[in-house]
Amino acid sequence: MMDKKALVVDDNEVNRVLAQRLLSKAGWKVEQAEDGQAALDWLAANTVDLVLLDISMPNLCGEDVCRRIRADKLGGEDIRLVAYTAHAMNEQRDSYLTCGFDTVLIKPVSRQTMLDMLLELGLV
Amino acid sequence: MKGWSDFGIRAKLIIIFVLIKVIPLLVIAGFAWHAQEWLAGRVSTSVVHMAGAMHETIATVVETTTGPAIKALDDAARESLERVTTDTARAVAMFLYDRDSDIRSAALLSPDAESYRRFLAERRRPIERHYPWELTPDGTAWVPGPDATPRYDTPPAVATIEDNKKNFNYRQPEQTALVTQRPLFLEMTFIGLDGRERVKVTTSEMLSGEMRDVSRRENTFIKAETYFEHLKALKPGEIYVSDVIGAYLKTPIIGPYTPAAAEKKGIAFSPEKAAYAGTENPVGKRFRALVRWAMPVMQGGKIAGWVTLALDHDHIMEFTDHILPTADRYSPIPDAISGNYAFIWDYEGRSIVHPRHYFITGYDPETGEPAVPWLDSELYAEWKASGLPIGDFLARTQPFRDQSLAKKGAAELVKAGQLGLDCRYLNHAPQCTGWMNLTRHGGSGSFEISWSGLWKLTTAATIPYYTGPYGRSPRGFGFVTIGANVDDFHRQATESKRVAEEVAKARGEDIESQLAAVIGLISDQLATMARQLSLSTALMVILVMAIAVWMASFLTQRIRTVIDGIRRFEGGELAYRLPEQGNDEMGALSHSLNLMADRVGESIDRLTEARLKAEEASRMKSEFLANMSHELRTPLNGIIGFAEMLREDAETEESRENADIIEKSSRHLLDLVNSILDIAKIEAGAMTLATQAVALGTLDGDVAAVHQPVAAAKGIAFATVFGDPLPETIQADPTRVRQVLHNLLSNAVKFTASGEVELCVSRHNDDVVFSVRDTGPGIPENLRDAIFEKFQQGDAFLTRSQGGTGLGLTLARHFVELMGGSMHMESEIGKGSTFSFRLPVSPRQEAE
Repeated sequence: MMDKKALVVDDNEVNRVLAQRLLSKAGWKVEQAEDGQAALDWLAANTVDLVLLDISMPNLCGEDVCRRIRADKLGGEDIRLVAYTAHAMNEQRDSYLTCGFDTVLIKPVSRQTMLDMLLELGLV
Repeated sequence: MKGWSDFGIRAKLIIIFVLIKVIPLLVIAGFAWHAQEWLAGRVSTSVVHMAGAMHETIATVVETTTGPAIKALDDAARESLERVTTDTARAVAMFLYDRDSDIRSAALLSPDAESYRRFLAERRRPIERHYPWELTPDGTAWVPGPDATPRYDTPPAVATIEDNKKNFNYRQPEQTALVTQRPLFLEMTFIGLDGRERVKVTTSEMLSGEMRDVSRRENTFIKAETYFEHLKALKPGEIYVSDVIGAYLKTPIIGPYTPAAAEKKGIAFSPEKAAYAGTENPVGKRFRALVRWAMPVMQGGKIAGWVTLALDHDHIMEFTDHILPTADRYSPIPDAISGNYAFIWDYEGRSIVHPRHYFITGYDPETGEPAVPWLDSELYAEWKASGLPIGDFLARTQPFRDQSLAKKGAAELVKAGQLGLDCRYLNHAPQCTGWMNLTRHGGSGSFEISWSGLWKLTTAATIPYYTGPYGRSPRGFGFVTIGANVDDFHRQATESKRVAEEVAKARGEDIESQLAAVIGLISDQLATMARQLSLSTALMVILVMAIAVWMASFLTQRIRTVIDGIRRFEGGELAYRLPEQGNDEMGALSHSLNLMADRVGESIDRLTEARLKAEEASRMKSEFLANMSHELRTPLNGIIGFAEMLREDAETEESRENADIIEKSSRHLLDLVNSILDIAKIEAGAMTLATQAVALGTLDGDVAAVHQPVAAAKGIAFATVFGDPLPETIQADPTRVRQVLHNLLSNAVKFTASGEVELCVSRHNDDVVFSVRDTGPGIPENLRDAIFEKFQQGDAFLTRSQGGTGLGLTLARHFVELMGGSMHMESEIGKGSTFSFRLPVSPRQEAE
């Protein structure tokens, strides 16, 4: 089986690395991006199965990035967008889903919550 | 029913107006009407009264003018009638006393037939008989025959000198053509001591000429005489006078004996066989009777025998037969039919002279006993019931018993023709008692009695003859009675009275018609008045009502303006101000309301400002909390994630434990963050619930499954109890219900060292009650309220070693209340605690 490919976008390195580790442990090939623009640039040239996208990022927020990806159909046909965020309010969750995210992964995450998310998206 | 308060002010004002204006108006109209009616009534009454009084006055005038005249005439008539009666009675008495002289003379005569004949021939007296009467051709009445018509050729007497011409009144001579001189006595006898007639001279066929033994009654006149036994008692010089003795004559008819009357009675027309009755039966049999005088005849100083003289009773009849108590004064024939009468009664009250001869008492010539007299029906019935002969019955009967006009004569005796009038037993003729009263001590008098429908004056005068046996009665021989119709006396006066009354009646009718006109006028006036009063009252009422409606509308219009203004203000038109018209209360009210609106406006402005500020603060707080949460979660993500990874990858037990501690601590921190976030949301009013149908079975099963293992690990029994019936689902936020249950169960398991924890779900009315009971240490009284406060955990007896955020119960209660339920707690130190909350099966409608 070919490894699935994910992009983790987070300005916080610890959280970026944590996600990369957890996904790697689950057998994913993971790329990282430090901010939105970098993610967009990368996605313009690559395809991935999954993008974990932090919301609160400098310059370009996760929602804008999400909208760009959706709008420009970046990163391939089957791309799944997950809001990877510490915003835990229900309303915020709804607004993320509205703007194009497939689901929300609220920080802090554990191995189990990551696996639950993949299961939910049918990526396991 | 509609209460007073349900009416609007307008309606109330109108009602009050009507009450204070219309009712007095109606009352005044009522008073006016009543007064008018009263006045009309009084006037009518007065007029009627006046008319009545006038009427009465006229009647009184008529009465007073004619009354005394009538009375004077009555008095004069009475006086004259009494005079006639007493004169007649005295004449009878004188006549009888003359017969005493006769008997005395007779006693001196030599008792031989020749002397006696001579004696009788000398003693005659005129008897007047009427001319023959005959029936009218149609047979309906008896009228004087052709000879009876008075024939007076003499011209009426005239006053020859001027001085006598005034009221010179002439009366024709009375008819005397049929006057005959009749012997006074029917017979004269000399009776020996043995009772045998020794000498006997008769002047009439009535008596036998045969010499008889008169000591034996059957030998006497009609076997009725008993004088002999009285003769023996006579002393020399004493006179005996007998009763009137004659044979009773019957009649089949009372009143005019005509062929018509006979036919009606069903008898043959034979008036000559019936008793004579004057004008009513002028051809009947005359009553013939005698009264016997007797006196001892002395020879040598001794009684040698007795001389008797039998007076012809006709001579007594003559005294009354021609009397008329009217202006006519004289009648050639006894006339009872016109109601005028003159009778003679003996000392006992027996009729001895009467125009109707069948009314004269007499004897039965067959037996010599008194004939049955006319009894009243009551007495007759008693007699018949007694079975006694009439003589024996009457001897034991009280005379004059309860005489009254109410009684009736015995019809059987009328039918039998037995009508002799014996006052003692004629109880249906109360005048008998009256006559007896008048003559009780002799004397005379009169009274009036209504008889056969006419008021009749009746007189009675004692016949003052007291010889022999008649001396034993104060009434002497008896009494004369004369009667007359009272009305006859005062016919003229009555006539004038009648005329006067007619005039009065005519005047009365005139007054009546005028009265009717006046009353009609009054009632017309009253009707007009009523119409006008009704109309003006109605107009006034309408006017007042209109004013009331206008006034109420005017007043309420201003109130309505105020109300509308307030409504507009209420509706959000805060700038709207009431028009301030007038200086009255409404103006002041509008002004005050405007001032108030100003204040309210200012307050609202201030409040809006404050609200905006508060909202801003709240927003900032939420934002701060969200940022806070975000900023805390971001590092926690790394800590928990890596700690977990570290634990999983730890190569030594110690490392693994350390990693585990890091993870747990950071998770605790995360719980705190989450709880704070929830509380902040609730307090900011920002907590929203995702209400949906929650299946109770699934919910409880899931929750129990979490805590069951924990309890089991601690050695505590864990039970779930479902009450019956339970609804399948309730409307609630499943996450929050779970959160509450988790909190309560984890607390229960956490604080219970041994024993059991029980989750009980049951239904109470519209609620489902979840209760969690434990056998933990219980909660002291003073902490029971505090445990629901933030960061309280019963520190006084439990340590922080129990873990938890200290926000669980606070949150749990908040959530339950948000879902429309309530939370309760019961606890007993040493026994355990029960936390329960109830949730509505479906959300209550109170929330909008």
